[in-house]
Amino acid sequence: MAESRGRPGSASQRPTGGDKAVATQKKQYFRRKKVCRFCVEKIDDINYKDVKLLNAFVAERGKIIPRRISGVCGPCQRRLSDAIKKARNIALLPFAAEV
Amino acid sequence: MRTYEELFILKPDAPEEEMDQVIEQMSSVITSGGGTVDKVDKWGKRRLAYRVDKYREGHYVLIVFQAAPETVKELERRLRVTDLVIKFLTVRIDETLKRQEKRRKQREKRASRKAASMPPAPAPAQPMFTEEPVEG
Repeated sequence: MAESRGRPGSASQRPTGGDKAVATQKKQYFRRKKVCRFCVEKIDDINYKDVKLLNAFVAERGKIIPRRISGVCGPCQRRLSDAIKKARNIALLPFAAEV
Repeated sequence: MRTYEELFILKPDAPEEEMDQVIEQMSSVITSGGGTVDKVDKWGKRRLAYRVDKYREGHYVLIVFQAAPETVKELERRLRVTDLVIKFLTVRIDETLKRQEKRRKQREKRASRKAASMPPAPAPAQPMFTEEPVEG
């Protein structure tokens, strides 16, 4: 008789639509599973001298692209941003570029 | 003895001999301090990303060397004083090189272990298969 329905927001009751269910209200936060390009391709060396590689992670105005957009993992993003700052210091990348 | 990497920019309008002279001077600073020059790489004239001292182009030179920290201080002082050098950057790379070596060795070990223990099966579904004992 005493049916334990559980508290109204418990995970077992909530439909396991996951992100899609939340998405109807606010913006979706996981669009798709983006993988870190460096971890997948196993690129060890994020060098500040490699301007071609770094340019892919720099926006038009020269700003560093945030992690949630580029999909890079934490440690790689830190190394990447270090490399970009070194490259900026030695005039391989601009600090602020004109669009 | 630590491994360093020095990247500096020379004025673009300087003659070739003067540039070589500067590189020689820097190399001698390193060797007189008891270090060794591993590699000298001249990248040539390159367009700068922004204006440095009224120049839009510069001659990039890369020197990889091993030296003691005091030598590096002396080298940087010399670079600062030299008129021909408009920008320089010293990076310590022995730790990064060590880490890359380690990662590479780990990857190789993992790859060889995988290749030895799991021979690729030709057919996808095999009802009976004999599993070979894995030798660690």
